[in-house]
Amino acid sequence: MANMISERRIVSLLILLLTAGMVVSTFGLQFAELGGAFSPMFFPRIILFVLLALAALNMVMDMMTNPKSKTLRLAPTLLISLGFLIYVMLIMPLGYFFSSILLAFLILFTLGIRNPLVLVALPIGTAGALVALFNHVLKMPLPTSPFFWWI
Amino acid sequence: MIEAIPQALGLIFTVEGLFVLTFGTMLGIVLGALPGIGSTVAVAMILPFTLTMGQAPAILLLLAIYAGSVYGGSISAILINTPGTPQSAATCLDGFPMAQRGEAGKALGWSTIASVVGGLTSAVVLIFAAPQLAAFALNFGPIETFALILLGLTCIVSVSDGSLVKGLIAGFLGLFLSTVGGDPLTGEARFTFGNFQLISGFNLLAVVIGVFALSEVLIRASALPDGKNKLVKFSGIVLPKLSEWSGRIKGLVKSVLIGNVIGILPGTGAATAAFISYAEAARSAPTRENFGKGEPDGLIASESANNAVTGGALVPTMALGIPGDAITAVMLATLTLHGVTPGVRLMSENPVLMAAIFSGFFIINLMLLPFGMIVSKLAAPILRIKEAYMLVMISLLCTVGVFFVRGNPFDLLVMALAGVFGLVLRRQGFPMAPLVIGMVLGPTLEISLRQGLIITDGSFAAFFSGHPIAAVLVVIALIMLSLPLVRFFRNKGASA
Repeated sequence: MANMISERRIVSLLILLLTAGMVVSTFGLQFAELGGAFSPMFFPRIILFVLLALAALNMVMDMMTNPKSKTLRLAPTLLISLGFLIYVMLIMPLGYFFSSILLAFLILFTLGIRNPLVLVALPIGTAGALVALFNHVLKMPLPTSPFFWWI
Repeated sequence: MIEAIPQALGLIFTVEGLFVLTFGTMLGIVLGALPGIGSTVAVAMILPFTLTMGQAPAILLLLAIYAGSVYGGSISAILINTPGTPQSAATCLDGFPMAQRGEAGKALGWSTIASVVGGLTSAVVLIFAAPQLAAFALNFGPIETFALILLGLTCIVSVSDGSLVKGLIAGFLGLFLSTVGGDPLTGEARFTFGNFQLISGFNLLAVVIGVFALSEVLIRASALPDGKNKLVKFSGIVLPKLSEWSGRIKGLVKSVLIGNVIGILPGTGAATAAFISYAEAARSAPTRENFGKGEPDGLIASESANNAVTGGALVPTMALGIPGDAITAVMLATLTLHGVTPGVRLMSENPVLMAAIFSGFFIINLMLLPFGMIVSKLAAPILRIKEAYMLVMISLLCTVGVFFVRGNPFDLLVMALAGVFGLVLRRQGFPMAPLVIGMVLGPTLEISLRQGLIITDGSFAAFFSGHPIAAVLVVIALIMLSLPLVRFFRNKGASA
């Protein structure tokens, strides 16, 4: 059973299930009854049916061959992915400067940088340089912080 | 359009125009030299910063980044044996051995001259071929447009490295993503699931930056190990003497022609051109036994061909609105974001802009020679930068870039999700170029198909009976689609 489960097969199955879900959803949506090429679902349905067929073919191929995926350092990848998702949600409430410092610190620390000077100076320097450039030189303001109006 | 060139030169030879070309070419060389960034990511990263610029400077800046980055890839290929861009992979074969024996400056000299010659000829091809193709496209109605886009989509076949099925899935995912939002004919919301932010659809740039640049950050974070690249001894470019060109001109001309022709074909790309040209040189050059051991003819073959592709690849993009590969797909997105609709009417309605683009591209390629010499010396130490520092900079720049398009935080979320999505798919061998091609061509494909069916009262057969151009285009599309099958059976026959 363990041999049956692999990252590649899980991804293939997810694509197949998501596509099937989208196909089903096209039948539940209510639109003006115009019919034929006038229907808003005319084109997406064609695309989704072809995609469903391709996803099924891909699933079959992956079940037959199952090549190994490249090795993955799971912890840093997950941390940085999650960190980025949290970062984009923090940009508006915290401002670009502070949230970018946090993200830069997270990336550096996760990738094994332990020099305290680099861990502090690089995030502040990079985020600060971008804020200075865009907010004050180019006058294209990035989201500002609620604490200090100039950053 | 040729008549508009003097007026176009007036646009270019301004402080802004010259600054854009100079800065773009230099930045392109640096970004191209940084391993892993590549032309597509470089253009995608800089694209948002051009949104406040005028059409001509913005497009010229991105063209400069494009041409500069293709050349820049050769710097890291020669100095650290790591191609900055896939196009420069063949350059490693002879460039690095030359550098190892203390001829790094000479190797970069050969590659610079070859790149400049390749780039200049490709600019000439672009200037003369694109208007002819566009003039022909004036005969196109919705049905012909549909057939043309269908043909454009077949280039997914050639940009699908590895698995064709996975490439097609990515392409159809792109087509599906392009349908999210308001219906182009009735205005009704599709696949928004109650989220009002999705009514205007997915922001193309957020998706492009997410799947290319951000997923690259995540992939490199997942790969390890980090460390400084070792540099060979390099104290500046040494241009080859005129006498050293003796016996090499024929090879250079052949490689340039290979690059020009391959560039115009949709879906082939500079990396293919470089390897085909290298293989041809390795077969026919008098110095062929030295190939792979640091032979300048090998360097000339790969570098002239990959730069000769750049202008040619822009021909179908500019004239027909069909991107041939990932980088031209991003360039097409650029044109669209700047309100420029490539193809049919662009050449006739906006000749000054087109002339500015074409002549600017020629000047950019001329600039590669002096700037290549200056920047390669400055860029060499940057190649030693730790990967973690580079990933931080790319991440923060991506965010700035996407935020400036509409100032909408939802786009940042789309970019982050596209990055994670890109990571998952790329790890399983799904190419990302077809996804972008699908997203770019999707809206035109849908509108032309539906308009065509409305015109023909829903008869799909009538699409081709009275429309010979459409019929020919569909036949060519079918041939393009069947090529991998022919190749498969031929290989099977050969191995049996």
